Amino acid sequence: MTTKTKNIVQTAVFAVLLFALAFACWFGRDKDFSNDERRVLASFPEITWERLLNVEFMKDFDTYSQDQFPLRDTFRGVKTAAQFYVFGRAETNDLYMAEGHISKLDGEASYPMLDHAAERFQYLYDTYLADKNMNIYFSVVPDKNYFMAESNGYPALDYAKLTGYMLDKTQYMEYIDIYDKLYLDDYYCTDSHWRQENLPRIAAYIADKMGVKLDAEYTENVLNIPFEGVYVGQSALPLKPDTIVYLTNEILENCIVTSYDTGTAKPGVMYDFEKAEKGDAYDLYLSGANPFVTIENPNAETDRELYIFRDSFGSSIAPLFAEGYAKVTVIDIRYVQSAFLGSLIDFTNGSDVLFLYSTGMLNSSLGLR
Amino acid sequence: MLFSSIPFLYYFLPCVLILYIIAPKKLKNSVLLLSSLFFYWWGEPRYVILMVINIVFGYVCGLLIEKFRGRAASKWFLTLSVVVSIGLLGYFKYADFLIDNFNAVTGLSVPLLKIALPIGISFYTFQLLSYTIDVYRGDVPAQKNPITLAAYVALFPQLIAGPIVRYSDVALQLNERTHSFEYISLGIRRFIIGLAKKVLIGDAMFALCDVFRASGDKSVLFYWMYAIAFCLHVYFDFSGYSDMAIGLGKIFGFDFLENFNYPFISKSASEFWRRWHMSLGSWFRDYVYIPMGGNRVGKYRLVLNLLVVWMLTGLWHGAAWNFVIWGLYFGILLMIEKRFLAKFLEKNPVIGHIYTLFLVIISFVIFNAADMRGIFSDIGGLFGAGGIPLISKETVYCLKDYGVLLIMGIVGATPLMKNIALKLREKKESVMNVAEIVFLAVLLIMVTAYFVDGSFSPFLYFRF
Repeated sequence: MTTKTKNIVQTAVFAVLLFALAFACWFGRDKDFSNDERRVLASFPEITWERLLNVEFMKDFDTYSQDQFPLRDTFRGVKTAAQFYVFGRAETNDLYMAEGHISKLDGEASYPMLDHAAERFQYLYDTYLADKNMNIYFSVVPDKNYFMAESNGYPALDYAKLTGYMLDKTQYMEYIDIYDKLYLDDYYCTDSHWRQENLPRIAAYIADKMGVKLDAEYTENVLNIPFEGVYVGQSALPLKPDTIVYLTNEILENCIVTSYDTGTAKPGVMYDFEKAEKGDAYDLYLSGANPFVTIENPNAETDRELYIFRDSFGSSIAPLFAEGYAKVTVIDIRYVQSAFLGSLIDFTNGSDVLFLYSTGMLNSSLGLR
Repeated sequence: MLFSSIPFLYYFLPCVLILYIIAPKKLKNSVLLLSSLFFYWWGEPRYVILMVINIVFGYVCGLLIEKFRGRAASKWFLTLSVVVSIGLLGYFKYADFLIDNFNAVTGLSVPLLKIALPIGISFYTFQLLSYTIDVYRGDVPAQKNPITLAAYVALFPQLIAGPIVRYSDVALQLNERTHSFEYISLGIRRFIIGLAKKVLIGDAMFALCDVFRASGDKSVLFYWMYAIAFCLHVYFDFSGYSDMAIGLGKIFGFDFLENFNYPFISKSASEFWRRWHMSLGSWFRDYVYIPMGGNRVGKYRLVLNLLVVWMLTGLWHGAAWNFVIWGLYFGILLMIEKRFLAKFLEKNPVIGHIYTLFLVIISFVIFNAADMRGIFSDIGGLFGAGGIPLISKETVYCLKDYGVLLIMGIVGATPLMKNIALKLREKKESVMNVAEIVFLAVLLIMVTAYFVDGSFSPFLYFRF
């Protein structure tokens, strides 16, 4: 190619790229929601003289143009790939890859957040539990960074310090340490959550500490939907999806699940295939976000009840406690005000209570209500 | 509006290009003026009037200076033009600095004005000054067409970040310029490379500086990484903007002078300043240093001239003492070099390179210090003051995270890649032509990807 031809072709290529993307920006249809980022995308900003003069419109337009850019997720993937494979970055947008996993750096411990979580737990204890002679336990699920960050040269949260801080503030609970019972392989490669198929031993350990023996056998079933964990969307990289396995046995099949996601009781499901197909596949377990769910085991050899205050990590492990209890009530105070719980749930004397929260939730606890 | 943004690249620029292409020749400057005013208004809606007033004032002064050429009134109008331009710049840029220092010296508490600095005021003020001074000197005729003069001052490619384009350099092109595929292609290459320099390297180096500032685990090595990263940030950011300006200029048929010429390969501080922000250096030389007498004065006056020029150079960069010290630092260095070191550095280029890099790195630590105490603590940190360790855990991580980019930045700040490309072009012109097109397209896509990812903001509770 002669230089003269190159000049023409170069001008043409630039013009095509520039104008094709520009026209797609100008005339493309706006999207409302980003599944990958789980957030509402910016819409065209409101124009007023005041907003023009104080540059608010321009700032919002900047965000709008980024959010609504054509092939947004593809471009984000290009950036992630460039960061990792061209510029040799160890992380991008705090996401990093090691040992076949992708994860997100934790940052620092947030003591105001930990205080908020402790304050909410104290409220629950004082309001519903203190006068009921209950056995109250607390367990913390470490983020998978605990197993992969420091060992791969990445900065990591001081998990011992974080947990110690929470224990100091929750001395009315008995702590069940599961840190050394878990391994990196107990977590999905592309997601922050743990795998249910690896949880029977964890559930058995926790139950044992609560004085309940769990030894049921489960059948492993593979969900026929590839699980692209939350970090796939965030990185926008074409990573190999995980497989979701769910456990079944006769006990679970006979359990009665009642969901209260609308505030009133309605039949629920242990594994919600419809939700798994339509939304996040991890919502398979107890239908994902739910203020509270009860799992009744009509074949239980005990009338003991268990209340689990939990985040999403609890969805996959809660069913495994059904074997040892007549009823398991799974409560998520991100979706119901703690103050309303008294009118919805009868906390029974002598029951077990388990506060099961991940480090990520404790360290970012504003959602606990 | 920033060049490195989607609104500029995919909304503003395509519109301007369409309008510019379809506009008849006599209206092309009007298109450029209106689009430049919109460009400025987008970022500074309240100050667009200030720029227009400045332009009108400069235009009128230029005409009057020419009309009264040879008479005292001509000098008066030049003085008026300089005083008003410098006065406005001083008011908006330096008023609070002066009040702050006045308060510190007198113990009074005169309230600060807290005026927002109009974007690009330092650049367009200097351009207007060069115009009126050149008209006074008779180097260029006064521009009769207000649209042409306004298009020159407000021309969006160089409006907010330079280079400082002198009227005399583009006067002919404002009236008559040619457009060709060769020029447009050169402009596209320059613009995309500038964009990539700023977005891919400059911004990453800035992020590393941010990580350093926020770190509670500093070390001597971390201080040096920070100092080098900041030098690279300023270079890639600023020279990237200059490349974009020069590239856009070429697309619209203008030839702007170069502003950077691989300053980090210099063998002396004097050479560094012949390669760094060349348009500012030559502006101060031609409009301040030489009018003060230049080299043709006595020993002490020469020292005074140099110190004044370098203090002003420092102040031009910002209204704070660290900028003044930064300017004086170079002024003193240049004097020492001229008096004692020039021949030695010329004969010992390796020592010259090391000496220059060391002093330039120190200078940018001064440049970026938050205050006077910051200057001492940052420079102290480079030499282990305060008992900080030689290396720390976070330093190792940052090296792992930014190591490749630092190497790319260091290599990219030398002409190595350019020379390799030129050599290859001599041997395989055809292949290199194709490679260039592909390379630039990939760079544009990568830069766009970085823009798009700018609003990445996952919902915090996705994971719980």
